[in-house]
Amino acid sequence: MSEKIGIVAYGVYIPRNRITVDEIASVWGEDANEIKMQLQVFEKSVPFPDEDVATMAVEAARNAIKQWRGESEKIGAIYVGSESHPYAVKPTATIVAAAIGAEGQTTAADLEFACKAGTAGMQMCFGLMQSNMIKVGLAIGSDSSQAKPKDPLEYTAGAGSAAFLIGKQNVIAELEGMYSYTSDTPDFWRREGATFPSHGQRFTGMPAYFDHIIKATKGLLEKINRKPEDYDYVTFHQPNTKFPLRVAKMLGFSKEQVEKSLACKYIGNTYSASSMIGFAKILDDAQPGDRVLVTSYGSGAGSDSFSFRITENIEKIRDRSKTVQYYIENKRNISYGLYSRYKGILKV
Amino acid sequence: MEPPKIWRERKERYLGIGIMCEDCKKKNFPKTRICPDCGSENVKPYKIAERGTLKYFTQIMNTGDELVFNTPYVVGLVELEDGIKVTAQIVDCDFKDLKKGIKLEQTFRVIARNGKEGLIKYGFKFRPI
Repeated sequence: MSEKIGIVAYGVYIPRNRITVDEIASVWGEDANEIKMQLQVFEKSVPFPDEDVATMAVEAARNAIKQWRGESEKIGAIYVGSESHPYAVKPTATIVAAAIGAEGQTTAADLEFACKAGTAGMQMCFGLMQSNMIKVGLAIGSDSSQAKPKDPLEYTAGAGSAAFLIGKQNVIAELEGMYSYTSDTPDFWRREGATFPSHGQRFTGMPAYFDHIIKATKGLLEKINRKPEDYDYVTFHQPNTKFPLRVAKMLGFSKEQVEKSLACKYIGNTYSASSMIGFAKILDDAQPGDRVLVTSYGSGAGSDSFSFRITENIEKIRDRSKTVQYYIENKRNISYGLYSRYKGILKV
Repeated sequence: MEPPKIWRERKERYLGIGIMCEDCKKKNFPKTRICPDCGSENVKPYKIAERGTLKYFTQIMNTGDELVFNTPYVVGLVELEDGIKVTAQIVDCDFKDLKKGIKLEQTFRVIARNGKEGLIKYGFKFRPI
């Protein structure tokens, strides 16, 4: 790559409500300690009734813009990836454009690819940047995931959003390369009109999550001639905490390399935002010169893998907006009753 | 919740766009075509401050169908850092913890949903800093 392109700013948003694994397990008479040991998730985030994918996307985008300090009108592309867009027909991306003052000369679209729709948006922005078609692009992953009551997913299906501004000026994380791996794998799905998703139980593991992440990550490392030890940090999609730890080990990364990104323990699986929030958590503490590898995973199935090098500009944007840790700590715990109401399981 | 009204008011509700009078320099929200202070038509868009102080507040327990999903909710009068006063919902807090004088910032939320099939109205609310 002749010219530096990469991340120029980022922002996240995580709703304030949490429900613990203990609270959910107590309703279904299941062993909370066993579940916590298996998943290594303690609680998950839950949106208020007046929050949805659009409101969370706007909050994350505004945090990114606050960090960037640029003019919103210069954003040439807005992509919002989610599997829980508020409308089946009518884009979330236009709501975001209006709410950040970027209506007008911009292209916008909603993307859907289970948990990797946000990184698909990042790739599209990188492509438009690389071909000099836009000056700045905004890629957002935002989800308020649904889980059937008593389904194992109920312990982890959380909510959150992450927004990345991609450009050429004042790059904080330079893109070194990207690589994707895609196959038609039916591990997780939701049909049109269905309220809750279905999944293939254990099938979501080896042929789905692990196979795609391993192939995308190995493909990227081979393409740019790197080894796991060349990286300071790595983050993967976090459907729970066990999976990213295990896939890191399988790929030859240490626990220390992946540990910093693990937000899932406290907020659950934020779907399209998951690997992006993991990346943001790393960026919150990253130092110039650090190398970061990010690999998303979306059921259905595919993985996008990115290699970044942190630049000295990261020092300039620190403390301009709220960190992932701020949102993790800014919480209140709710009962299963209130959770049922907030998630629309209990109807008025 | 008619589409033209939602469309027309979006900058007001999403971004807090009011007016500033070019003649008397007074700022006002919501926007009007004529300055409510001096009657001048020489007004331009003005973005209200994003932070303010809670002056008065109350809790709403019963509402119409469009807002029932969100009850009980708090409505407050907020004095913004630029002197403008706006009425808006106060979120991300428990009613018992609210006090006059606390600092607030704008947040973006769902204002109302028109049933299961109608439009969703978005706009600003305030939350404690």
